[in-house]
Amino acid sequence: MKVYISGLYSGTSPQPGIGLSRSLRIAYPDATLVGVEYSNRSSGIHWQGFDDLWLQRPWEELDLAAYGELITELLDGGALWISGTDLEALWLASVFPDGHANLLSPPAVGLSRITKPGVEAHKGLPLQIPPFVSTDESDWDLHAFCRKHDWRVWLKGPYYEAVRTKSWEQFEAVRTALSKVWSTQRLFLQAHVSGYEESVMLAAYKGELLGCVSMRKRDLTEEGKTWAGDVQEVPEEFATKLREIIRDVNWTGGAELEMVRAPDGQRWLLEWNPRFPAWVHGATITGCNLPAMLVEAATGIPAEKTTGSGEEFTRVVLEVPVRSRYPLAPLPEPYGGGIGHSMKHPSGMPALAERLHKLHPHLMTANAGAENGTNGNGSHANGYAKVPDSFVHDLKQQDYAKMETPSFLFLDTTAADLFERASTLARNLSTPETQIVNGYSIKTNPDERLIKLALDSGFYAEAISLLEVQKALQIGFKPEQVILNGPGKWWPEGLMPKERMHAVFCDSIADLKRVIAAADRGELKSKVFGVRLRTPSIKSRFGIPVETPDDFAALIDAIALLPRDSSFGVHFHMASSHIGVGQWWHLYGAMLRWCRSLEKLAGRQIEVLDIGGGWFPDDWHEGREDDFTKAVQQARATLPNVRQIISEPGKAMAQPSMALAMRVLEIQDISDDTTEAVVDGSIAELPQYFFYPHRILRRNGETGELEPLRRGKTRLMGRLCMEHDEVAANVELPEGTQPGDVLIFCDAGGYDRSMSYVFGRG
Amino acid sequence: MYLGEGKNMVIDLEETADSNLDAGIARWENFPASYMSHHGTACCEIAREWITGMDYSQLNAGHPLTGPRWLRKLFKWGPSKWPMHWCQAVREETLDCGALGALSHQLFLARGVRSFAAQFILEFNDVSTRHWGESWGAAGCDPHWISNGLIYHEGSAVAVEGNEVKLWDATATWWINPKQFGGYAGLLAVRLFDPTADASTVFTWGEHRIPANTWHKVARAKADFASKKPAPKPRAKRRTRTTKKVAESAVAA
Ligand SMILES: [Zn+2]
Repeated sequence: MKVYISGLYSGTSPQPGIGLSRSLRIAYPDATLVGVEYSNRSSGIHWQGFDDLWLQRPWEELDLAAYGELITELLDGGALWISGTDLEALWLASVFPDGHANLLSPPAVGLSRITKPGVEAHKGLPLQIPPFVSTDESDWDLHAFCRKHDWRVWLKGPYYEAVRTKSWEQFEAVRTALSKVWSTQRLFLQAHVSGYEESVMLAAYKGELLGCVSMRKRDLTEEGKTWAGDVQEVPEEFATKLREIIRDVNWTGGAELEMVRAPDGQRWLLEWNPRFPAWVHGATITGCNLPAMLVEAATGIPAEKTTGSGEEFTRVVLEVPVRSRYPLAPLPEPYGGGIGHSMKHPSGMPALAERLHKLHPHLMTANAGAENGTNGNGSHANGYAKVPDSFVHDLKQQDYAKMETPSFLFLDTTAADLFERASTLARNLSTPETQIVNGYSIKTNPDERLIKLALDSGFYAEAISLLEVQKALQIGFKPEQVILNGPGKWWPEGLMPKERMHAVFCDSIADLKRVIAAADRGELKSKVFGVRLRTPSIKSRFGIPVETPDDFAALIDAIALLPRDSSFGVHFHMASSHIGVGQWWHLYGAMLRWCRSLEKLAGRQIEVLDIGGGWFPDDWHEGREDDFTKAVQQARATLPNVRQIISEPGKAMAQPSMALAMRVLEIQDISDDTTEAVVDGSIAELPQYFFYPHRILRRNGETGELEPLRRGKTRLMGRLCMEHDEVAANVELPEGTQPGDVLIFCDAGGYDRSMSYVFGRG
Repeated sequence: MYLGEGKNMVIDLEETADSNLDAGIARWENFPASYMSHHGTACCEIAREWITGMDYSQLNAGHPLTGPRWLRKLFKWGPSKWPMHWCQAVREETLDCGALGALSHQLFLARGVRSFAAQFILEFNDVSTRHWGESWGAAGCDPHWISNGLIYHEGSAVAVEGNEVKLWDATATWWINPKQFGGYAGLLAVRLFDPTADASTVFTWGEHRIPANTWHKVARAKADFASKKPAPKPRAKRRTRTTKKVAESAVAA
């Protein structure tokens, strides 16, 4: 018996080849085991358990047709082949679409049913697939996915690699890198599931499930790979279903279902690998030798008995002598000024991926079209983001001919509509016991038109400095409609209103003492005096901390000093766009609990709650009425004395209300499909570029039509001589775009506008 | 969960019920589970509100059955002086397993999770227990929790569904494996306190059936694939036998 075994990499993210050889050696002591590798840098080639080595050149150098013929000859001659890498198994399935009696890896039909992330074949098993979205979606929709899942998301390639992307900037960088390595734009983002990792490994021959085991990871490497585990029987109800599926997809070979078990017991399927896992021998030494069962089924030759002891295994590190005639290769030179030797993928897997994309695109396509792949916005994965009709309407009213660029454009009906909706929502949520009212955070955009809209829509003006207070008053707010907040509330001196304001929230104990002293002297008057709470467990520099029991006790003591003839309120604020929507709502619940404790311990009834903020517009405006209704009910249930809840949507009001127009200065083709364009706008006008994508429209100079930009391979570079002045990457300029055309960056009315700076204008 | 049928649950009383464990159970028979005392004044009220508020914040939208591992970022493990009050506990640098177990039990309750105080007897080796004995002695605390290679330990049990529980080791910050093979750090016996329990209350922990409020010897598991499977018998019958045998040993203890 001769068995060819591939996948000998034995580093920190190991392949199963060595484990397979060890398991088969127990079952077939006299078999000839031949290790197959594509790089002499895979240390597994030196494993003495292989009787022979078949070392190929890396995949980029292989003549695939000739290699296919060679393998056919081997199989026809009676040798067996067990593939230990996903991509090799994919390639073999294309060489042998209907399989080969001696090829112990899955046929094409089976592989097409396990494509990530949808893993169609899992249906019927008690497993769920974590939510995912294809990166074919527009950046706008991808950003929404990240917010929805609290930025606990992984960017994954269709075969290998998964990188956690905690921010938009990181996402963009990783997307560029992974697309380049794996020659595909078809990546996907998947929500993280917290829990314990476990796997089911199976062996099957021609659609018959030969055996399966369950393994829980009991120790992990830093990359999350198995270091130790326990091996147990697969519950019968799971195995029964698995048997049906294996029959249905006519599986041959090994496989591994990688899962996470969440604290509530639910199991989530991360991937279905078309090969044995690297820990395969871990199961063998506990008494379950699946490779032996596979070879026995394929050959009919009875395997020697495998006896196991215990059900737990672990790995150790071993030094072995280098195989004769296979001396070590020298280390590659570090790049000039670089650190380390940069030698990922020595066997040329990315090159195989690239070749397979061309040869068999259907096998290489990430299956991201399944039901959890939709973004919920109803848009199709065509790379276009939905641009609201009101944007287009407002933008068409502008006179572009005379417009100097770059220039911020005010979207008046859009803005009016946003304020109107917020005001209606607040009215609808209000009850006779509790009034809901909005606050406009002046710092998000101090444009007079927006402040006036806020005034007319019944908002409070929320100020963080006395200059902001004065501006609100100039526009028509009365002092009793002003809320003063933040650590800079005393700046600049001498501008504190003499009249009574609506609310003053203290940002520290020192601030609170100063407020009390000023109130005592009659220099500061407010209907509500309160505190801003610092969010524990989420880093923030604002508010009074409750991080230690002493902090908390000090806060309770300080609250007792606040004027008794005013109402008491609590304010907390955390940008939901930053921490994600789910986490924001948990924070809300947590803060209500802290408020209840404060009310009980400080003996002051909380009558006013001021909550923010930093909402991404879509998360605040789109279909959230139920969330807000529940939130109000929760507040009332926790704090029965609350009479007023001030909601601060933050940038949700300002961001959509302005756009930035800029002109194309120059367009240059860099290669067949990549283009660089220079524009007269810059990151000085779009300082938020790093934090979220903007929806971009191009104005057709001839027709005046506004055409959205979709995802593509053009970089838009700003006018500044600054390395990082790139206002958009991965976009496609509509056909016919030329220098002089106007590009309009929507969603620029929030901190883009208020934090824009003068730079490079002489 | 992992042993859907319990068919490999071969109970070997020879291995577990040695005289050492019986002596340990006798020694710790009258040990109450640790609990936090309350001065009845604001000091303890503030401390309790603070730690439960902190716990909820630290969940970060995680599931309520997530173990409160954050406690061990706050407190090192070491000797504690008893009785202990809330206001004291939150300001300590080190807490013993009783204090950590009692706090985690209270935190689970505050999250709305059904939780029970849990006591454990674990097996260790002499060198370990000697070090602990020395350090407890040096801190002026009684190392009464160490005896003949066994230690008394505390944690909490949380109900997952009905009376099915998971056992949280608040000191080690992990869920104890229901499959116990004995040996270093192995769990030999467990007692779960449920003040509302009656004589028929039994908790399910993996394949174990643990009567409430009494020391229960933890039967050793056999590895699924390690030996020949027992001859097939009707499933329900096997389960009954297993349960009965375990329960009997506990009553005997
Ligand atoms: Zn006290």
